[in-house]
Amino acid sequence: MSIPKTIVISAAGMGTRLGIGTTKALIDIDGKPLIIRQLELLKDYDDIRVVVGYQMERVIEVVNSFRKDVLFVFNHNYKNTGTGGSFSLALPFARELVVSLDGDLLVHPDDLRRVLESDKECACGGVISTENPMRMITRKGEDGKIYGVGFSRDEGDYEWTGLAQVRTARLTPGDRHVCDMLTPLLPLEMVEIRTKEVDTPTDYKHAIAWVKNGYKE
Amino acid sequence: MSEYIFCFDLDATVTKVEILPEIAKALPEDDLGEKMRQITERTMAGELPFEESFRSRVNILLQVPVSTVREIIGRVPINEQMAAFIREHADRCYIVTGNLDIWICDLMERMGLKPDHVLCSHATVVDDKIVSVDEVIDKGKAIAKLPHPFVAIGDGNNDAEMVGAAEVGIGFGGVREIAPAVLNNATHAVYTEEKLCQFLRRLL
Repeated sequence: MSIPKTIVISAAGMGTRLGIGTTKALIDIDGKPLIIRQLELLKDYDDIRVVVGYQMERVIEVVNSFRKDVLFVFNHNYKNTGTGGSFSLALPFARELVVSLDGDLLVHPDDLRRVLESDKECACGGVISTENPMRMITRKGEDGKIYGVGFSRDEGDYEWTGLAQVRTARLTPGDRHVCDMLTPLLPLEMVEIRTKEVDTPTDYKHAIAWVKNGYKE
Repeated sequence: MSEYIFCFDLDATVTKVEILPEIAKALPEDDLGEKMRQITERTMAGELPFEESFRSRVNILLQVPVSTVREIIGRVPINEQMAAFIREHADRCYIVTGNLDIWICDLMERMGLKPDHVLCSHATVVDDKIVSVDEVIDKGKAIAKLPHPFVAIGDGNNDAEMVGAAEVGIGFGGVREIAPAVLNNATHAVYTEEKLCQFLRRLL
């Protein structure tokens, strides 16, 4: 890694679909809050920004118990904005490359490292595993790589994961979703990663089982 | 280069400890010291609003030579990286504090700040004693005179308005807990001096 980067974890949402009354970044995954599992993989990075909103004081307390050198960014309007709104608030004065990571996403540690160790722009897709997901429409480039060329609820072979790495200067802030902000930047290389998103109680069970089993299905 | 100016709270933001208890500790173990310690405890417990606490403090300290208080405050340890940032960018930095000019002037000199970059309360001194408190600062009103855009850094309830008015309002939790009112008004929060200074340098 040679290009300076900022990593943004969007952890402002309420996680209402999960129905356990806590923001998803704090849910316990086999003995540790999800956000701690993310931070454990980010020890080598010194510009980490955690966007907080719902239960902000609890999120701050948990993050500070692990490391204190995090920049917290407030999304006070978390009820009315999507992940793009949170991500946008963290962008001002970010470094040359910025990584967007949703606070409710468990990524296979090897795959997250692979993305972070690269300086290439990318948008990460995975195997379709949730109901009515946002999909990535892809095509094979002349260089043999797969490129994301669109986001859609109706077509596409990969599920959009929310993990992306792009040049900060190319982004235009928005208040909806990160994929809306990425759309003008397409095509972006699609990197396939293994993830578990925690949206519903069933997702939660699967995520715990996945971690307990050493990130194997 | 950005156009931001930087407004710092003093007590428990730039200083590594809270100033009020330091004064209380340094006073002799007599009635005066005891009263000061009681006010300190009540203020720390959030039982006294700033202006009332401030006026009570001044009333007690009326009997103490100004030079003694100034010397105590002058010895208060400060967050050195923050102070270095302020010294390096003194023309763009302001201290916004409720403390009296005549108490903090030595400390401000240590930080390389000219008097017009210190927004504070004012008093008249005759023969090393305060004879009148001429103005108790309202931080919200004081920063209204400063040009935008500005960055504000603070931690206490009386910083909430300043932090909320700033384009970049930063809660600093490196010395004590950030007051909930500041968290509710801030755009950012940091919990170490290093992190704060790293971010401030990005804002230059």
